Amino acid sequence: MTELIRFDQVSYRYPGGLDVLSGVSFEIAQGEMVYVTGPSGAGKTTLLRLIAALCRVNRGQLVVMGQNLATIKPRQVPAFRQRLGMVFQNFNLLYDRTVFDNVALPLVIRGYAHQDIARRVRGALDAVGLLGKERVLPLTLSGGEQQRVGIARAIVTKPALILADEPTGNLDPEMALEIMRGFARFNEAGVTVLIATHAIDLIEALPRRIIHLEQGHVTDKRPRAASELRREPMHGAG
Amino acid sequence: MALVEAGLDRPRWLSRWTQEHLRVLFFSLGKIARAPLAAGLTALVIGIALALPAGLYVAVSNLSRIGYSWQESLQISLFLKDTVASSRGEALARELRNAAGVATTTYISREQSMVEFRELSGFGEALDLLQDNPLPAVIAVTPEPRQSKAEVQALLERLSSLPEVDLAKLDQQWMERLYAVLAIAERAVGIIALLLGLAVMVIIGNTIRLDVEARREEIEVMKLIGAPSSFVRRPFLYSGFWFGFGGGLIAWLLVAVGTALLEVPTAELAALYGSNERLIGLSPRDGLSLVLAGIVLGWAGAFVTVTRRIAEIEPK
Repeated sequence: MTELIRFDQVSYRYPGGLDVLSGVSFEIAQGEMVYVTGPSGAGKTTLLRLIAALCRVNRGQLVVMGQNLATIKPRQVPAFRQRLGMVFQNFNLLYDRTVFDNVALPLVIRGYAHQDIARRVRGALDAVGLLGKERVLPLTLSGGEQQRVGIARAIVTKPALILADEPTGNLDPEMALEIMRGFARFNEAGVTVLIATHAIDLIEALPRRIIHLEQGHVTDKRPRAASELRREPMHGAG
Repeated sequence: MALVEAGLDRPRWLSRWTQEHLRVLFFSLGKIARAPLAAGLTALVIGIALALPAGLYVAVSNLSRIGYSWQESLQISLFLKDTVASSRGEALARELRNAAGVATTTYISREQSMVEFRELSGFGEALDLLQDNPLPAVIAVTPEPRQSKAEVQALLERLSSLPEVDLAKLDQQWMERLYAVLAIAERAVGIIALLLGLAVMVIIGNTIRLDVEARREEIEVMKLIGAPSSFVRRPFLYSGFWFGFGGGLIAWLLVAVGTALLEVPTAELAALYGSNERLIGLSPRDGLSLVLAGIVLGWAGAFVTVTRRIAEIEPK
């Protein structure tokens, strides 16, 4: 399978802080569904931030979709991020704009024509079960619906890779399971999905590969049964 | 699921560019319109700042125009030698009418000069005591209008070198003083315009800076999903555009109202000096230039501020 993400001895340290990631190496192939797990502070969020070019590796090589992020130029970053779909724990929606405008934003940034935007936004909202709520403001929606707006925004550009950082962190268990199943459906459609989560119970029943982090190190690169992880402490985002 | 649809056609470049800029143009206008009082006050301050140099420009333009009209009443007096016969003097006056830089000429004979002097001077009885007429014949030469000071001076020198001419005289000292004052006034208008232009940029920059801070989270989200700086910057630049446009229109209106209010008293003052000059305000071209200046200053003020501020905002 085609390699989509390659971490090669990647280390990262926040300015003036301790090593968050140290000598991390793994590969993710195109079409994989991968969960990044680990206790709080293990480096899950930092790992996703590195993949999204929100911070730059201190040591090692990180290649994502053919782009070496250790050497990427600042002016290349926006175009690179446009190739990703990102989903966040706190949704990161624009609350003074309608659902339609929020989902349309990545297409507007990429300069699509109005008719294409309308068609794609409807398609994305249909995929997350929110068709008919285009003119609604996000604050009038439930947490689960807001997250689905965020997911629709992530998939509307048909990215090859979706990154999700604790996407179910603010949702009730029922809604969280529905969201995770949604990601699994996207993966079945051919999209590579990488989710940082501590919701082990949710992913237990789903097809998966797990990358488990402990204190900035990958401790087990092989897919693991979620039940093995239950015994480990989990206190929110890493 | 719609995610794996076949690839969609990308829009043509021109259509995409036009659509995006029109969208942001009206999006920015809509945002400004949602806070009409604050936006109106900002535009009013900009308008006043632009109206001051524009009003001074109108004042200086009118003074220059009046100066030129007075220049049209300038005359060069050619005092002819006593040996020049009347017929030759009249012929010379006719010849000079065709000379370069000359509009009209009038020949005043020695006898006519005496008659006029007798009437105007009040020395009639004293003149009767003189055995000969001491006054020379004169050719009054009116230069063509709109000539520069140097051109009029050259004409004067050319005429004074004529063999029939004893003395050529042009009283232009008052004109030189007027032009010196106007030159200072024009320079002052330039300096004031520069300073108030900078003030407009600062006012708009500060307004945009507050807007950037208010929309910090929105900017972070946009950068997260791959918006380039040019995209993030665009709505703020168009806000600067609208503030400058509004300020320019207000400045034009203020100058027009000021001109209208001063028109009647100025005409009355001019009439007291025997002139029919009228105060002329900004022409449509001047007004449009004023609005354009407002737009450029608004855009530039927004650009300087927003470029620096956006570079400082990075997604968390």
